[in-house]
Amino acid sequence: MSKVKCDHCHLEFDESVMIEDNIEGEKRYFCCKGCQGVYHLLRSEGLDSFYEKLGDTKLNPALAKNSEDLQKYDLEGFKKKYIKEREDGLYEIYLIIEGIHCSACVWLNEKVLHQTPGIIEASINYTNNKAKVVWDPDEIKLSQIIQKIRSIGYNAYPYDPKLQEERAVRQRRDYYGRILVGVFATMNIMWIAIAQYVGFFTGMRKDIKTILNIAEFVLATPTLFYSGWIYFKGAYYGLKNRFINMDLLVATGASLAYIYSIYAMITLKGEVYFDSVTMIITFVLVGKYLEVLSKKQAVDTLDTLMGTAPTEVTVIKNGEKTLLAVENVEIGDILELKPGEEAVIDGVVVSGSALFDESSLTGESEPVLKKKGDRILSGSICIDSVIRYEAVKDFSTSLLSTISSLLEDSISKKPKIEQLANKVSGYFSVTILTIAILTFIGWYFLIGDFERALIVSISVIVIACPCALGLATPMATLLGISTAAKRGILFKEAALIETMAKSDTLVLDKTGTITKGKPSVVLFEKFEDFDFNILYSLLLSSNHPISVGVIEYLKERFNNLKELSLENIKSIQAKGIEGFFEGKKIIAGNLELLKDNGIDFEIESENSVLLFAMDGRVKALFELRDEIKEKAAETVSKIKEMGIEVVMLTGDNEKSAKRVAKEVGIDKFYAKLLPQDKLYYIEKFHKEGKIVVMAGDGINDSLALSCSDIAIAMGSGADIAVNVSDVVLLDEKIENIYFAYKIAKRAFKTVKENLTLSIIYNTFAVPLAVLGFVNPLVAALSMSLSSLLVVGNSFRIRRNVK
Amino acid sequence: MSGGIIAMMLGVSTLLGALGLAALLWGLKTGQFDDTSKFIDGARFDGEEELRDAVMMEEKKKKALEKRRKDKKIMPD
Repeated sequence: MSKVKCDHCHLEFDESVMIEDNIEGEKRYFCCKGCQGVYHLLRSEGLDSFYEKLGDTKLNPALAKNSEDLQKYDLEGFKKKYIKEREDGLYEIYLIIEGIHCSACVWLNEKVLHQTPGIIEASINYTNNKAKVVWDPDEIKLSQIIQKIRSIGYNAYPYDPKLQEERAVRQRRDYYGRILVGVFATMNIMWIAIAQYVGFFTGMRKDIKTILNIAEFVLATPTLFYSGWIYFKGAYYGLKNRFINMDLLVATGASLAYIYSIYAMITLKGEVYFDSVTMIITFVLVGKYLEVLSKKQAVDTLDTLMGTAPTEVTVIKNGEKTLLAVENVEIGDILELKPGEEAVIDGVVVSGSALFDESSLTGESEPVLKKKGDRILSGSICIDSVIRYEAVKDFSTSLLSTISSLLEDSISKKPKIEQLANKVSGYFSVTILTIAILTFIGWYFLIGDFERALIVSISVIVIACPCALGLATPMATLLGISTAAKRGILFKEAALIETMAKSDTLVLDKTGTITKGKPSVVLFEKFEDFDFNILYSLLLSSNHPISVGVIEYLKERFNNLKELSLENIKSIQAKGIEGFFEGKKIIAGNLELLKDNGIDFEIESENSVLLFAMDGRVKALFELRDEIKEKAAETVSKIKEMGIEVVMLTGDNEKSAKRVAKEVGIDKFYAKLLPQDKLYYIEKFHKEGKIVVMAGDGINDSLALSCSDIAIAMGSGADIAVNVSDVVLLDEKIENIYFAYKIAKRAFKTVKENLTLSIIYNTFAVPLAVLGFVNPLVAALSMSLSSLLVVGNSFRIRRNVK
Repeated sequence: MSGGIIAMMLGVSTLLGALGLAALLWGLKTGQFDDTSKFIDGARFDGEEELRDAVMMEEKKKKALEKRRKDKKIMPD
């Protein structure tokens, strides 16, 4: 059978399963009704140039969505929470559009919204899929707008921009503007400075030199006072709280060089240093901007997390179902959950039973069966049947809102260890400033020449200040970061290297970090011959992790597995699946399912078991286990050798936690933890004065990740976890945690060496300057020499890590 | 070369650059660079039709606001 492309979403399927359609004499294929509908709609609206713009990009198939939940968008509670009424009477809302793959999707959505009567403004941000929509409430309702977006195969849900978004956007724009000014000035000053450097060696007419000096002055002034304003502010707040920070050093260094240069420009004595002023400010500013950017990404994903949570729940009052805003639910109300719905309020089951996906809370992918009397936690998703439960908490104290508000807090105040480089440069700048003042006093009283005294004291600051010391840390950390990146370890910030090197505790999550995160087959026994295609086809109907694990195993072992047609496939809650093949009953599931079917079978195993039976006879047995990643034990023991304590925190049960801990050699572990329990342990370690590195991958880890000093996330983990983390492991190999440690320690050692080198340089250069021997040539030579030393030393980080 | 010419050349070229910078800062302030990818795609997709759309949206807004004003005049509350 040949494969053909769906004409809407461009995914390829077998020709036999495609819907054929005849449009204007041409044959078109669609993979589903949804895609077909969208294609027809776009044609009839004259928007089919979308497909030209789309090119070869593949879309998600446009699923035909039920419109039941649309009414919630017109409810009062929803309006209060998300819709803003503007002064001119128009309504405004911020939406996140789901399903956007490329710029053509943005184009299509905007186009369709623009053509809808009643919509006044619609603009979609491609980078984060957020949209702002303004509409006239007299002409169109929000539910109709959402319906419109759904009709073309996308989905939209609201978010509250007031949370963090507005502030983050403003801050980003502000920084960006300052950087633009800085870069512009630096680039222009550079080409002027080249003329001056040449002039220094070949000689230059006085009037030309003055012109060049003035041009540099004009460019440096806005850089220092506009772009550099951030440092003045930072230095001011630092001094107010009685500590000397990097901002102060940058601010004093830059402004002193600036003042000295003005003096040199006016008196025509000595060289100007306007180029160093702009360069210092611009380079350090770019580094700061990168930090601001990564913060904003975290905000974006947080909005997604809360935006998908329902705002209304079904409440049973006096035997009748009513929709109630989540904020109005009181303790003791009976709530109803339908399959696919997410619980937003904590409670206890009163009737019915259903499987719940708690992966966002515990990290375990296996669904949990909840019966009468069991606790339901908000954030878990009901999978298969209708259930009623009693609220034991209201919305604001429920787990989900607790987690997201904690997370919001922690993004803005992450603990930072005081950095060595900052401390050293703090002391250093104090020392240099003192020496400069003493030099001035000494020269003034000994020689009695005010002007000469000023020049000498300022030259002390200029020669000592930026170069080697400014380069010592960035150069080493930068090389550390790039070495790590080559191994698939991404450090998001340079300062993290130092924190990592100083850490003494490593906290590991179990599922997905130490283990592979999904069960795989560890034992397979065949009792009788049978056609594997039957089992394969049966399992395909379920997306339970056990079935997925077995399917993967089958695919690995056998080629050419075919899907056969089965009848009456039924999935049985928490037990397995059954169906019929050519009249014979086939079942795949656990022991209980076999017993229900009257088959006797005995097996003892600590692993999950999947049995396959046909016509009442057991054919095969699979044992599955969440396997430990390769080299996990080796990594843990190597990290321990470095003198770092390793702790495991997991949402899984005590028994399997113990097994994994024993296998990889971790002595300390805590099991059955909810997200905020993990946070509690991290804070406990903090109180004991430890510097904590945490590695995890799920939504359930994100809270603890955001509070640890260094958070390491697995690249394929939940978006939120990746975004709150500081270090991302792209290939998820656990040994990379060890390499990250190793590289960080090495880079930090280099930083210390560099600082020592530059301090040695200064102990020679500064006395010369104090004695007044420094002419520009000496200054230039010694500066580049010291910089070269520092850079050369830093390159040693790149040698191989073992 | 005389100093005057050099001064003029420097002044003019810096001024031209500064004009460009000012335009860039204005664009930044009005939110035109908030979405970097869309900004780049503008060169691929924007055409006559998009311009017409933009005009249409503006007219729609004007009409809606006018209608609201009229409604208020008829029914003062």
